[in-house]
Amino acid sequence: MNIAENYVVPSATFTEKPDEYELKVQVPGVGKEDAELHIEGKTLTLKTHAVHQNPAGFKQVAAEFERANYAMSADLPEMADPTALSAKLENGILTVVVKKRPETQAKKIEIA
Amino acid sequence: MNTLMNMDPWGLLDAVFGVNGDYRRVRARAAGRFPPVNVFLDDNAAILDVELPGKTAKDIDLTLEAQAVVIADRPAMDESGKPGNPAWRRRLELPFRVAADKANAKFENGILRIELPKAEAAGVHRIAIAG
Repeated sequence: MNIAENYVVPSATFTEKPDEYELKVQVPGVGKEDAELHIEGKTLTLKTHAVHQNPAGFKQVAAEFERANYAMSADLPEMADPTALSAKLENGILTVVVKKRPETQAKKIEIA
Repeated sequence: MNTLMNMDPWGLLDAVFGVNGDYRRVRARAAGRFPPVNVFLDDNAAILDVELPGKTAKDIDLTLEAQAVVIADRPAMDESGKPGNPAWRRRLELPFRVAADKANAKFENGILRIELPKAEAAGVHRIAIAG
């Protein structure tokens, strides 16, 4: 993946639920239009560019976080269905939901 | 052996440095206990950017004192309708008094930008001397 020179891997959590996986990535300062999400095979990649600017003409006296280009890539687990993905970016958090493959769901077997 | 493995690794530093050392802020920041703030100043105003991904205006309490701003977590009500305890609270002192009526704050993509213009300098007053 081609990445810009300075990038930061964002904090993310990956949760497994009975029929889907949920990936939540913290990308503060990034809006929907500034993020690119790709899926290739089972590799998910995210790239964002920093849009939130420091105010012009001001002197920065405390820097506890930096504007960053975020980039990350992750392989989805075996049971994930890469064609059943949805993503939403709201308030600086990207939530990606991937359904599990239907054949991996637990099924009851009737005993004849 | 078990006690060593279960010990909070920061506990030793707590004992050595006491409760008010600076390292505790580093630890709290690393633990995600309070949000990071960037502060920008110019001659007429201060701008604070607070990184709060996932939050919106209803989740934060912002109070202005004469020369400081307090940013606190506003937790949801518990079942009995009482507000819960805030998870974190930060008070930042400023190098000048703030014009409260002109202060404003806005959330954008999980970053809260607070603009605090400087209060007009008090004019020089003459004091009449009685008698």
